[in-house]
Amino acid sequence: MSTTATSPTSGSFQGVGDLKLIVRQVRYEQLSFWLNPIGAIFTIGFSTVFLLIFESTAGKSTVASLGGIRLIQYYVPGFIAYGIMASCFSILSITIVNRREMGLLKRLRLSPAPTWILMSAIFLNTAIVCVIQIVLMLGVGRAYGVHGPADWIPFLLAVVVGMFGFTALGMGVSTLVPNADAAGPVINIVFFVVLAFSGLYYPIPPGSTLANITDYLPVRRLIVSLQDSFNHIPGTSPWAWHDLGVVAIWGVVGVVLTLRRWQWAPRRG
Amino acid sequence: MPAVSVSHLAKAYGDVVAVKDVTFDVEKGEVFALLGPNGAGKTTTIEILEGFRDRTSGAVQTLGVDPSDRATQRWLRSRIGVVLQELAVEPFYSVRQVLTRNAGYYPSPRPVDEVIELIGLRDKADDRVKMLSGGQQRRLDVGLGIIGNPELLFLDEPTTGLDPSGRRASWDLIRELAASGTTVLLTTHYMDEVEALADKVAVLSKAEIVASGTPTSIGGRDTGTVTIRFNLPEGVSVSDIPGPDPIVEDGIVRISTDQELHVLHELTGWAIEHGYALPGLAVTRVSLEDIYLHLTRTDA
Repeated sequence: MSTTATSPTSGSFQGVGDLKLIVRQVRYEQLSFWLNPIGAIFTIGFSTVFLLIFESTAGKSTVASLGGIRLIQYYVPGFIAYGIMASCFSILSITIVNRREMGLLKRLRLSPAPTWILMSAIFLNTAIVCVIQIVLMLGVGRAYGVHGPADWIPFLLAVVVGMFGFTALGMGVSTLVPNADAAGPVINIVFFVVLAFSGLYYPIPPGSTLANITDYLPVRRLIVSLQDSFNHIPGTSPWAWHDLGVVAIWGVVGVVLTLRRWQWAPRRG
Repeated sequence: MPAVSVSHLAKAYGDVVAVKDVTFDVEKGEVFALLGPNGAGKTTTIEILEGFRDRTSGAVQTLGVDPSDRATQRWLRSRIGVVLQELAVEPFYSVRQVLTRNAGYYPSPRPVDEVIELIGLRDKADDRVKMLSGGQQRRLDVGLGIIGNPELLFLDEPTTGLDPSGRRASWDLIRELAASGTTVLLTTHYMDEVEALADKVAVLSKAEIVASGTPTSIGGRDTGTVTIRFNLPEGVSVSDIPGPDPIVEDGIVRISTDQELHVLHELTGWAIEHGYALPGLAVTRVSLEDIYLHLTRTDA
């Protein structure tokens, strides 16, 4: 039987001990990630391999609508955006649905670890996976002679806003998926269709009908904001405040969905 | 102060009533069983006591605090242990890793190796969870429930899916925890589990408590009808047998009575007088299962 103080104490923040608990929880999230090596390699390697394929087929093509930058320059920030969105949105939301339906979220909820610690650890784990992918993709870019980002600070800002925005959106979307079987197909189909129309695989000229439609979506906005800070594109600022604002608004939508619909218990039965 | 105090608890999901007017206390150190069919409200009740669900009305105290009070929830959760109805363990961790991780959430956890020993998984300590059998995973689940060294342990159908030896081992573990002062609140479908473990039992049916008491007295079990049974002696006809309305089936005599002392006195006196041995003589009180079925059937 517990021998600690028996009088009830209130509050959910316990200072340095909690910060240590976050670090510990991140360590276990990472352990869980790497203990499934096929899943880990697929998660981290997919974006890099994807980029390698596109870089190898780009040749010497240029993008007239973006000031004549080389296509290989165009793909690197685009796939970095893809890596962020895949980790923070699609993989995260599928993982959350699976954990919820397996009862793992319920078990964690019943432990003394506060929600904010558990959520922070999930975010930081996702951020680590993102950073590994970004480093790998920058390396692939270098291998093809693409040196960037041109402006590091706005680039890092776009990365951070993208991670927060898509993590919030991923958590929100997880609340809309009813069961683990539906999670993969539903989330991935929507994600890849939106990616295709948002300029990941081929440049979409600004002002085109497709761009005007997809400008409302955070996917194109993150691609554009990373593009603007990664490549010196004539006539654009590296500080893509407007694009990041749209990503942030979608993040807020994710937060609202999460706060209104979040469930710790499995929905089956 | 009781470990758990529930007074007129009610919970509804929209128009669906999950529990209504549920009242009971669980004293410290007691093993208390909530018995009832599926959908009776057992899990909802303990989820409210754990602070996992909010109640619609009524008063609830768990270890002296309101479990729905967010201010003391962390304190409360560091003092309770929970074994969920369904397995919920990450498949890629080893047994030791998942226990070590969870131990870190508590202020004064049990040593991980001690828990591994208690749940009988010493040989599997470094195996991945996904490599364990269903019964072994269930035992790990129990281990996660006790790793925090709880004052109060909630066990939601803890032996469902275990083989007979696994069930007995879990019973031994629960007895050991109870003996060391841990209060245990369990839900179960198994009558033998209640008889083996519980100090007190409450039967939930259709969202309400329909009976409560000790396993030996619930539903008037200690005062109701008993059945006296013995093999019909050779050369004796049913009309020769003393006692109220004996029935003979397949050579076995059955007498139902609530005056067992008098009937036994008359019967054994008759047997001794005539030199009959009355082989197979047995007196059986109505079983807990009979009581349970009666309570849940009449309530249907």
